Amino acid sequence: MKPVRFDYARPADLAAAVALGGRGDAVVKFIAGGQSLGPMLNLRLVQPDLLVDITAIAELKRVDQTADALILGSCITHADIEDGRVPDVTGGAMRAVAAGIAYRAVRNRGTVGGSLAHADPSADWISALSALGAQAIVHGARGERRIAVESLMTGVFESGLEPGELLTGVEILRLSPSARWGYYKHCRKTGELAHAIGAYLDDPERGVCRAVIGATGTRPLVFGDAAALFGGGAPGGAIDRGFAERAMAAHGMADAIEQQIHFACLRRAVAQAHRA
Amino acid sequence: MTTVSLTINGRAVTAEAEPRMHLADFIRETQTLTGTHLGCEHGVCGACTVLVDGVPVRSCITYAVACSGASVTTVEGLDDDEIGKELRAAFTREHALQCGYCTPGMLMSARDLVVRAPDADEHAIRVAMSGNLCRCTGYVGIVRAIQSVIADRRARGIAAVPGAGRTALGPAGSGHGEAIAARVAAPAVTAAVVSREPAAVSESLADWQPQTRFARSFVVNHAVDAVWDFFADTGAVAVCLPGASVSGDTSARNVAGKMRIKVGPITAEFHGAAEIDRDPLTKSGTIQGSGRDRRSSSATRGVIRYRLLPQGDGATEVELDVGYRLTGPLAQFSRSDLVNDIASRLIAAFAQNVEARLSGTAATAPAAELNAGRLFFSVLAERIKTRLSHLFGRRDG
Repeated sequence: MKPVRFDYARPADLAAAVALGGRGDAVVKFIAGGQSLGPMLNLRLVQPDLLVDITAIAELKRVDQTADALILGSCITHADIEDGRVPDVTGGAMRAVAAGIAYRAVRNRGTVGGSLAHADPSADWISALSALGAQAIVHGARGERRIAVESLMTGVFESGLEPGELLTGVEILRLSPSARWGYYKHCRKTGELAHAIGAYLDDPERGVCRAVIGATGTRPLVFGDAAALFGGGAPGGAIDRGFAERAMAAHGMADAIEQQIHFACLRRAVAQAHRA
Repeated sequence: MTTVSLTINGRAVTAEAEPRMHLADFIRETQTLTGTHLGCEHGVCGACTVLVDGVPVRSCITYAVACSGASVTTVEGLDDDEIGKELRAAFTREHALQCGYCTPGMLMSARDLVVRAPDADEHAIRVAMSGNLCRCTGYVGIVRAIQSVIADRRARGIAAVPGAGRTALGPAGSGHGEAIAARVAAPAVTAAVVSREPAAVSESLADWQPQTRFARSFVVNHAVDAVWDFFADTGAVAVCLPGASVSGDTSARNVAGKMRIKVGPITAEFHGAAEIDRDPLTKSGTIQGSGRDRRSSSATRGVIRYRLLPQGDGATEVELDVGYRLTGPLAQFSRSDLVNDIASRLIAAFAQNVEARLSGTAATAPAAELNAGRLFFSVLAERIKTRLSHLFGRRDG
């Protein structure tokens, strides 16, 4: 249970990190809190030549707030969000999601950017931030670009990041005061990675109604216009089960039990949002 | 080797450590502080929990070098700690331990909870302690002990401290150390895997049970006979399977080969052998194989049964029934839902390559290893019909 030998670098700035990430002569992995990568390294499933620790880069712990958005550096931890050490623009939605990730010891090191870049389908942020319509901010040799979180993951552990590109932050749009949010995940053991996730945001003031079925074994299933889920009825009413099932089947989720569990999570997320 | 300096239980320490040395080994091996226990060593059991900059951290998946300059508290550091004393008395009173292996981690997590928890709610304590596993006590005594300490302290007017008073942002333990440059020279490339003569696949399938089974099918726009003939050439088939290659006589019943799979940061290269049986009457075949990934010491054994079904329009449906068993670290890690996605991607790429080969539009170079991000999944998504997907024995992540 010891990793293979690797070299370790801890750059002080973004440019140095991106330069190391772009090295073609070695297998290079970025590491932040290492709460997902660490187990893989210990099991020797991942055998890098060079580990680039990005947690000394001050820019990646930044918090920028504008009138309508919040930008969190990628090295902000789940516990930072849970405890309110960073501002919240989501009416408590992100704090609640953060508090439900794994265990406190993991949340004290695991980061929001690391979770997204790792692209585990069962992790929380990829589903929650997809539902919130967040943007991932990415830096590479060619400068900065943005990727919608909902299209960041391309498959299990695979993201749209190019080799050498580093996820440096996420931008979360401010929800209206009247926005409703629901998030429900199914785990057999508290704190384990989810078996199914439902996430739902209804923010009529901004004209946004989104839903996500997550922990699908691959990319999250995103309903950019979740109003369509309600079969012509008002958002928050009964979900058109056939519509959801067809969407899941088209997403590669053919098993009836799997569909049932995911549907139940979505239904509970919607109920949670419209309960108050 | 790197020089790591940090503070343990209030004492400044400096020691040489390889970058791969995790904090628990650093504490135990270089400082002989063996109170910190290692259980699972991959972040599941919580036995190795220590406080870093005042908050609990799993020291088995935190590298010592990443904590340069940080302040670490181990169970030995709770000797004179007020909460530590109260917890030890409560653990003793409530029989909150038997073998004691999990206890150091339990005490560290419990101490953090005693600081932060607003009240002694049993459910909240159970949720908060769920990352620490105990195989002896059934948790009742542990929960009761923690409840009593929290209730007692709140009754004495000691308020909860949200976030345990932490103000810094980012991973606990980070942000103190100096920058460290990578070594100037390129790191040594991992030694190439030496291929060994593969063992024959001789065991009977009669009493072998796969751990996981799934079925898939895809359609090729060519007649059954053409597809059947194509499948006879194992070498040509392997070229279509991303990451696969075979050596020796590729028309023989027994072939040797390897399969390289890349999934995100994980790469595995299985070297092994396969035995192929074909029945021309039913246009069906069986491929049973086994292989070993020497980097991760994982092994797999599996059977693929295929059947070719003519479609009305001169096309052929290829039905696949795949059963396999995976052992070693990859199995410990893998979750069947993830395997489904990988299998889907592999088969999609395979179907696309077979189609291209039969149409004469493909180069004969072997397909590169599976690299999901680069696969054009959508092209074939409509044609791939998932017939069945069982979820067996999913594991914790």
